Amino acid sequence: MAHMLNRKIWVRRPGASATLVQIREDDLVDDVREMILKKYANSLGRTFDAPDMTLRIVQRAEQGQPRHERQLGPEEEMCRTIDSYYPGGQTVEDALVIDVPQRRTPRPSPRAYQQAGYQALDDYRPLENGTDYFPPMPAVVPGSIAQTSNSNDGRAGVQQHHPSTAAPLEPHQRSISVLNTGQLPPLPSPGGGRRGHRDHRPKYQRQHTSSPTIVTHASAPPGHNPGVVAIGVPGSANSSSMHPLVHRQTTRPRNDSLASDGHHPTNGLSAAVPAAQPPTPPAPDTLTAHQAVSNPPTPSSGSTPVNAQHRARPRKNRKTTPEKSASGSRHRREDNQTANGVPPMPTASSMLDGSVPPINVLIVEDNIINLRILEGLMKRLKVRWQTAMNGQIAVDKWRGGGYHLVLMDIQMPVMNGLQATKEIRRLERVNGIGVFSADSATPSPVEERKRNSEADTNGGSTSEPTVNGDAKGKDKVSDDKLAINDGLFKSPVIIVALTASSLQSDRHEALAAGCNDFLTKPVNFVWLERKVKEWGCMQALIDFDGWRRWKDYAAKAEAGKSEEQKMKEEEQERKEKVKMEKLAKLQEKQRAKQQKEEEEKRKKGMSLGSSDVGTAATGNGTVQGAEPPVVAIGHVGAASEG
Amino acid sequence: MPGPTQTQDVRSEDGSAGFPEFGDSIDQTTFEQILEMDDDEEEREFSKSIVYDFFTQAESTFQKMDANLEKKDLAQLSSLGHFLKGSSATLGLTKVKDSCEKLQHFGARKDETGTKEEPDDEKSLRNCKVTIEQAKTEFKEVEQALRRFYRDDSS
Repeated sequence: MAHMLNRKIWVRRPGASATLVQIREDDLVDDVREMILKKYANSLGRTFDAPDMTLRIVQRAEQGQPRHERQLGPEEEMCRTIDSYYPGGQTVEDALVIDVPQRRTPRPSPRAYQQAGYQALDDYRPLENGTDYFPPMPAVVPGSIAQTSNSNDGRAGVQQHHPSTAAPLEPHQRSISVLNTGQLPPLPSPGGGRRGHRDHRPKYQRQHTSSPTIVTHASAPPGHNPGVVAIGVPGSANSSSMHPLVHRQTTRPRNDSLASDGHHPTNGLSAAVPAAQPPTPPAPDTLTAHQAVSNPPTPSSGSTPVNAQHRARPRKNRKTTPEKSASGSRHRREDNQTANGVPPMPTASSMLDGSVPPINVLIVEDNIINLRILEGLMKRLKVRWQTAMNGQIAVDKWRGGGYHLVLMDIQMPVMNGLQATKEIRRLERVNGIGVFSADSATPSPVEERKRNSEADTNGGSTSEPTVNGDAKGKDKVSDDKLAINDGLFKSPVIIVALTASSLQSDRHEALAAGCNDFLTKPVNFVWLERKVKEWGCMQALIDFDGWRRWKDYAAKAEAGKSEEQKMKEEEQERKEKVKMEKLAKLQEKQRAKQQKEEEEKRKKGMSLGSSDVGTAATGNGTVQGAEPPVVAIGHVGAASEG
Repeated sequence: MPGPTQTQDVRSEDGSAGFPEFGDSIDQTTFEQILEMDDDEEEREFSKSIVYDFFTQAESTFQKMDANLEKKDLAQLSSLGHFLKGSSATLGLTKVKDSCEKLQHFGARKDETGTKEEPDDEKSLRNCKVTIEQAKTEFKEVEQALRRFYRDDSS
C-alpha cells in the first residue's frame, strides 16, 4: 500500500471511545464502512455487513448551539467530506459516529444465511429423516467469513440500510431455510424488511449456537445503539448467580446470541450436549451442533436449539432427535433433557439444585488481582479450586489429577497458557485419557493404545519394556505417566482460555492449542459463571461418581444433617469402593492366572483355543446398577485398571 | 477492544443506581460486578482489598516500568504493560488499561494500536515514556476516585 495515499480517520460508536481507521484518500464512505467493520471485527463485523452501517458526521458547533449532524451517503468521498467539515483536520472529538441498525439479529445476518446457502447448497441437503439438525459445518465457515467481509457479493452495494430494499432477497432466504429447517419461515410482509421481524427470531437464534467461544466478548461492543446495546450488559451487572436467566430473557432479546447465553439457560444438562466443532463463528446454520458429536471435547453450544426454541417459540417443541452416531453419553444427556420435561430450568435445578456442580477448577493466572477475583468467584459458585501462577505450575498441578476445568490465562511468564494447554493435551493423549471405549473394554487394549501413542509421540523411547507386564506398577515409568488409575482422569480436562485479546487469530490459536473455549478479559462474571456451569455439568456427568460424592457432601452440609451418619455413609461408600477395587484386582489376577494356564495348556498342545480375555472385565461390579450408562463406562474403566 | 460501557442498561437492569459514578475512567459494568461480590455493602471487604492490592501492584509495576525505561528494555516494558493491563481491565479501569495496552504495543516496537512496526527504538522508548507517564496520571486519578469511594482519605 502506498503510504502516501493512506490516511486515518476517527470513528466511534455512540458513547464509546473513538478509534482510528485507516482509509485511502480516494475512499468512498462505502469503503470506509468496510474498513470500520474490519476494525470492529468482533463487535460489528460478526453481526453486520457494511451496508447495514450508517455513518454520521457531526459538525462542530459553537458553545450552546445545537450540533448539526448528517448521515453520510455511501457514495460520498470520505476525505473530502471530512476536510470540508473539519478544515483544520479531524480530531478525536470529531469522530464519525457509527450507527448500526437497532434490534438487529445478532449475528448471522440473514444474508449470510443466504450466502452460505448459495455457496454450499449441496451441503445443505435436508436430512432424510426431517430432523431439525443440519449437517455439519462445511457451509458454515464460508458463511461467516463472507459475513464480515461482505465483499463477495454484489449485494453490498444494493443493500442499503433500508431493510425494505432487501425484499427481493427474501425468496432465497426462505427457500434455503426451508431446506434447512424443513419449515417455512413466516412470510415477511413485503416492505417490512426482515430485520425487525420477530417471527424470524427463532431461526436466527438457533443459528447462534455456534460459538460460545467467539462470542464471549460480545459484551465488548461499546455500542450504544440502544437496541444493540442491550446485549452485553444485561446479565453482567447483576451476576447474582441464579438470575441471569431471567434477565436475559427480558432484557436481551436477541443479541445474546453471540454470547454463550445462547445455551446457557437450558441449564446444566444441556451444556453437556456436544456442540459444533469449529468453535469458530458459525454462521447461520450452525445447528450442526448436534452432528458434531464425534468430537466430544469441543462441546458447548449444542443445547441452543432447545432453549432458543424455548425462549422464542414456546409453542413448538423441537425434538431432540438423537443422532444415530451419538455416543452413549450423548444419548443419555439428551434423554435426560427430553425426559425431564421441557422447561429446561427445572431440570437443571432438580439435578443440580440450581447451582454449579461441585467441580474442581484450576485457575491459571499470573496476575494476582485477576487471580483473586477469579478465586472470589469460585468461592461464590461454591466450587473447589486451586490456583497456578504460570503454565508450568498449572501442568504440574494438573498432573495431580482431579480437575474438571481449567481457566487458563494465555499470556503468562515461564510457560504461557498455550504451551501449558498443549502440554496437558499431549499428556492426555499419551495416557489415553478420554479414550472411553478402550477404558471400558479390557485393560489390555488400553495399554496397547497407550504404548502406541507413546511411541508415536515420544518416538518410542519411553517405557517400552515395562509396559509388557500386567497393569501393575507402571505409573511413573516415564515422566509422562499419570496416575490415571485413581480415577482422577476420567475425561480430558476442559480448558477455557482467558485472553485479553479480542483478535480472532488469537482465539483460533487458543483453540488450536487444545482449549475448548475462551473468555475475553475482562471476564464478564455472568459468562464465566455460565461457562463453569456448562462445562461443569458436562464434566460432572462424566465424573458422576466424584460428583455424587461431592453432592452428598454438599447436601449434608446444607441440610445440617447428622454429620456422623453421613460420615458413616461416606465411609461405607469408600470402603465399598475399596472393596470393589480389590475385587477388581483380584479378578484381574485371576484373569492373568487363567491366561497363564491357558497358555500353558496351549503349550501342551491342548488347543484350548482363545486366549482372549476380553470378557473378564465385565465382572467388575463396581457399578451400582442405578447409574447411568455413561458413568458406568467410566467406572468400569477405573475399576478394571485399579 | 472496545470498552463496554453501557451504563443506562446497567441501571435499568437492577436499579443499582447506588453505585458510584466514576465517569469514563472506570467501566461501570466491570467494576460493579466486583462490587457485587462483596458480602457486605458497607464493609466492601472483598472489593476493597482487591482494589487496594491493585494500588500496590500498580505502584510497583510503575516502578519496574521506570527501571526498565532506564535500561531501555522494550520487551520488559511491553510485558509490564500487558501485566498491568490485565488487572486494570479486570477492575474496569478503562483509561489505565488503554494506556497499558499502548505501552504493550510500543514496547513491542509497534505503533500505538499495535498494527504497524516501529523501526526506531528510540522513538519506541520515547513513546513508552510518554505512555507510562500518562498511565501514571490516569492511575492517580482513578486511585483518588476509588479511595474516595472506599472512604479513605489517607492517600
